[in-house]
Amino acid sequence: MSKESLKMEMGLHSSTLAHKGTDKKVCRYVPLQAEVIDIDVESSNTYLISLRPLDEEDETVRIDYSPGQFLMVSVFGLGECPISIASSPTRDPLQICVREAGKITQGIMASRVGDVMGIRGPFGNGFPVEKMKGRNVVITGGGSGFATLRSLINYIADNREKFRDVTVAYGARTPQDLYFTSEYGSWQATGIEVGITVDMMDASWKGNVGLVTSLLADLNPSPGTAALCGPPMMINAVAKDLVNRGFLKPEIYISLERHMKCGVGKCEHCTMGPYHVCTEGPIFSYDVVGDLL
Amino acid sequence: MEKIHTTCVYCGCGCGLYLHVEDGQVVGASPSPAHPVARGRLCVKGWLAHDFVHHPDRLKTPQIKRGERQVRASWEDALSLTAERLNEIKEESGPDALAVLTSAKGTNEENYLLMKLARAALKTNNVDHVARLCHAPSVAGLGASLGSGAMTNSIKSLLSADAILVTGSNTTEQHPLVAAHILEAQSRGATLIVADPRKTQIAQLADIHLEPCLGSDVAWTNGILNLIIERGLADEDFIRDRTEGFSVLRESILKYTPEVVERISGISPEDLEKAAVAFGEAPRAAVVYAMGTTQHSNGTDNVLALANLILATGNVGREGTGICPLRGHQNVQGACDMGALPTVYSGYQKVEDPGAREKMATAWVTDLPSTPGLTAVEMMEAAEVGRIRGIYISGENPMMSYPDRDQVKRALESLEFLAVAEIFPTETTALADVVFPVASFAEKDGTFTSTERRVQRVRQAVTPPGEARSEWEVAADLMKRLGIEADYTSPKEVMAEIARLTPPYGGISYQRLGISGLHWPCPDPDHPGTDILHRESFPIGRAKFFPVEHLELEVDPEYPFLLTTGRSLFHFHTGTMTRRVHLLDREIPRPAVDINPEDAAALGVRRGQRVLVESREHSLEIEVDVTGVVPKGTVFIPFHFNEAPANLLTVQNLDPKSKIPDFKRTSVRIRRAD
Amino acid sequence: MTSTPALFLDHESLVPLIEELSKTLEVVAPVYAEGEPVFATWKGEALALDADNPLNSPVEFFLPQKEVLFKYVQYSGRYTFSEEPPKSRLILGMRPCDLQAIKVLDEIFGTELSDHPYTSKRKSTIIVAMNCTSPGKGCFCASMGSGPAAKEGYDLLLTDVGSGYLVESGSPAGMFVLRANSRHFEEASPEHLKEKERRLALAEEEIVKRRLALTPEQIREAIDETDWEEVERRCLRCGGCSLVCPVCHCFSVMDRGVPDGERLRCRDTCTLAGFSRMTSGANPRASLGERLRHWYLDKFVYIPEKTGMLGCVGCGRCSRVCLSDVDRWSILREAIE
Repeated sequence: MSKESLKMEMGLHSSTLAHKGTDKKVCRYVPLQAEVIDIDVESSNTYLISLRPLDEEDETVRIDYSPGQFLMVSVFGLGECPISIASSPTRDPLQICVREAGKITQGIMASRVGDVMGIRGPFGNGFPVEKMKGRNVVITGGGSGFATLRSLINYIADNREKFRDVTVAYGARTPQDLYFTSEYGSWQATGIEVGITVDMMDASWKGNVGLVTSLLADLNPSPGTAALCGPPMMINAVAKDLVNRGFLKPEIYISLERHMKCGVGKCEHCTMGPYHVCTEGPIFSYDVVGDLL
Repeated sequence: MEKIHTTCVYCGCGCGLYLHVEDGQVVGASPSPAHPVARGRLCVKGWLAHDFVHHPDRLKTPQIKRGERQVRASWEDALSLTAERLNEIKEESGPDALAVLTSAKGTNEENYLLMKLARAALKTNNVDHVARLCHAPSVAGLGASLGSGAMTNSIKSLLSADAILVTGSNTTEQHPLVAAHILEAQSRGATLIVADPRKTQIAQLADIHLEPCLGSDVAWTNGILNLIIERGLADEDFIRDRTEGFSVLRESILKYTPEVVERISGISPEDLEKAAVAFGEAPRAAVVYAMGTTQHSNGTDNVLALANLILATGNVGREGTGICPLRGHQNVQGACDMGALPTVYSGYQKVEDPGAREKMATAWVTDLPSTPGLTAVEMMEAAEVGRIRGIYISGENPMMSYPDRDQVKRALESLEFLAVAEIFPTETTALADVVFPVASFAEKDGTFTSTERRVQRVRQAVTPPGEARSEWEVAADLMKRLGIEADYTSPKEVMAEIARLTPPYGGISYQRLGISGLHWPCPDPDHPGTDILHRESFPIGRAKFFPVEHLELEVDPEYPFLLTTGRSLFHFHTGTMTRRVHLLDREIPRPAVDINPEDAAALGVRRGQRVLVESREHSLEIEVDVTGVVPKGTVFIPFHFNEAPANLLTVQNLDPKSKIPDFKRTSVRIRRAD
Repeated sequence: MTSTPALFLDHESLVPLIEELSKTLEVVAPVYAEGEPVFATWKGEALALDADNPLNSPVEFFLPQKEVLFKYVQYSGRYTFSEEPPKSRLILGMRPCDLQAIKVLDEIFGTELSDHPYTSKRKSTIIVAMNCTSPGKGCFCASMGSGPAAKEGYDLLLTDVGSGYLVESGSPAGMFVLRANSRHFEEASPEHLKEKERRLALAEEEIVKRRLALTPEQIREAIDETDWEEVERRCLRCGGCSLVCPVCHCFSVMDRGVPDGERLRCRDTCTLAGFSRMTSGANPRASLGERLRHWYLDKFVYIPEKTGMLGCVGCGRCSRVCLSDVDRWSILREAIE
């Protein structure tokens, strides 16, 4: 029995995974490198980082993604963590919004223009933009969850004619914690209604103060589809509020955060009941996850 | 893949485990089904014992301090510089200006050689190790009352106990495999009594949980014994035949009535009574204790009170009885056995005994110093005032584990020469003039002696990283450079010398150890080992009762909280290893002070907020965890974390009898950090 | 799926056969390490095929406790990555329970996107399974439908029929091994086949008689009825139940080394708080009781929903290693009885 002939046999015919075929997509866990091309400070602890994914020849690689998907982003030596994509597939460059939370996010935020980080993905299902087309859309969120919603808002802004009434209701802790403040005007220019509120105001603040739910009461959007992302307490309150406003549970889409390690449904960290948030989510409809929240 | 049977590196349980080796890397660990303590099980640290071995932080080359920086050096330069500097100091200021701190993480062979290095080559008895900070009161207390400071019975013996008193031991977290035996005994019908001010897991599982306030151990122990005698539950035959000093003891404890005990300890008379009856009526009762008993300024008295309890109830020398001081490190028992103590050679042969000295001097072909040396904490004091000028530290991290971190830092910084042998850079290696990179437990051969006096094999699974060497080689090399013969080719040869010179280890050889090892005393090659001590007699003839009194401690109204320190399940000691184990570090990534919910409400702090914990001299900023595990008025900080070193706050308040510092009771105040 | 007639291998011919095989690939087999059976690379030592199934399952050859996913090397700001190719291995003596576990893992790790580190090891490994004719004390494979006889998923299958091994092939790779080493085998007789059936029927009877486990339906019912806070009170948090389970496959990923180093993955356990805790501190399964409940739910509800197979193969290892001495199945039994 020669080594070569044995390997042939094993590779082609072993019982091993024979039924799985050989041509399916595989996850090797080796990331692409992405060069940091720009860093915007969104708030004291949040940066918007623009990336240029590279191939082995240092050429730009296109990443196809949809709003609501995420990347596994790594800093070599510190590790890898899930970060939602903050840019819209309709615009370059690819952007991630990183808030300082642990060692890895600190590492990502310590990068400078020209540095590379690792990216894998995009992972997850993304928002059901096709289903949202031709409908009213309410986009509401709070805190760092707004990054993934920005991807959706810009996607809608760039395809504005395909959607009906679009309302954004966004809350942050203080005016300094608000993200993407320079873009609100451009959203409004496409006919998106934008409402902003903060928990704690300062001297310069002239806008709303209070919860996102009371902001929604002011905006009073017509029922349609909704996209939510934010802290669990807020999500619960807003989802209930939307149901009271006549939104159907299957049309309220919630983006969830979980501890993740693989992004491909293997490592089990992100499981929520029977679901893998990384592959079956991170966007779930309220009728599916309402009881699990 | 190969599987190498060895002994776990963490606590004194001494579990057997397999290291899984693939392509020269340790890639896993699994429990040994045939090992008598592990029985196919491990705690979470044991399961993950492989993870730190190949960590990139491992020290791989010797370092020598040049100016302010430590730079890479050759072994030859590092060793010759060390020998030279130690020799110079010895010539200039005499041998007692030198000291050696050995390691409870090292093997018996390494401890023996380092002890020999200190005594034969450096000519000083200034040799000690971390046992000073854990079980010195056991050695002093049990040594005086029973004639031996070791655990009297085996861990397995606990399975046949009818009552078990656990005190000052968070057994489920610190000695999980001993806890497994205790809980198995309980499920077979034994009554489990736990005395601990904290509601630890084992306290919550206990049949009777006594919640004494910190520092009241002597009072409640005396109180239990008083009730036992009053009820006629004492073992009069045993007292008559095998002990002395009972009548004086009897007199001394009469005043510890349940009412007095309640006033001192807060334990209700009903609970005290229940515990006394359960312990007193049990045909076989055992006491298990650890640092919560010993790490007090009256630690030896605490131990003596427990010894009185087991002696008066005749619970010695039989299966299911005994007194079990649980050792924290996997080889702290062995380091003591090997004479890494200022007063004794291996086998507890006293340096002041001319016979013993003569025997060792002959075997080592040199002359030996006769005056006992300094203890670990005394060494730090002596270093600070310049009486000690050079120290060799093997694998200890005094900067984190000793009380009063500031003083330790001043002491180590004022040394003219400090050599440290370590596996990882630590707060202590940072201060060293020479750093030796040494092998971890996975990379060397040798033996560890577990808490139950079980001498077991450590087997090399992989080679040390980079240029790192086993410390027995380093010790032997230094000895040769200092003019003492030390041509050992393997740890096995060192063990042969140990057996020759150490009566309790006389029958121990690698060939005999197998999976299960041997309990010392094992005086000759045909001796089966001794799982239960004092069956027929005590080494001192009759056991002695020592009356001990409660020590009233002042409470400073300015510092109304009592700080107690300790460890958590997921980390070991100063965190050098466990904070480099991915899953353990993830489980408890940050230090926190445990505060009772009532206290937290009064202070206006919530979980996750930061507070300042202040002692009279120092203050520490740390995150809050609000938990009912600690009683009102007491706060707990684990000492694993250098970002909030608990021992910044503790003081060198030494027990006069054993020189152990009080780690378990420091007056502090707390305020919000913002 | 025996597609060639069964063969017979003398007990005495087994060692010469694996000696032959070990010239071409790494042979892993149960051997004695300091007296206990463990799966390790066979280097000529006595085989422990008659001993109990080793405490650590051979799944570790596909999903090691710790493995390097890739190495990274930094050069002027850019990284290059390298992966190790898998070793060619033959695992001898894998029991039907572990074989079934691998079938479940194949489904989980083989589903898109398939897990390359796992599947590449699977594809380069030949499995020579061995039917359980003398089951271990804590086994309940029969209740979980995974043993004592292997049904599929092996390349070769041995059954000890007293005088030697009945050898059946389950794949082209298995047949190739038989053909290439035909001189070690003889044709099996009908008596050998009959003896196999007899022995396996006896083994099954013995396991069923012990009634160690509940049926999967009863277990699902018991999960709802169990007092998980009480289980939490007793659990000593060693994680052993996950680390020995051949179906458990949770892993974590970590980097070691700056600027050059390795990205590793290691076996993990959902019983640890840090497993599901997010960096914000929020933990969707905050209590140990919830996490232990999840451990059972995953095996008896979620994995079956995803793969159509139970997530428990009845090997009994979780009870063998439980530090709290909690018989994992009696907890559940108490809940419903």
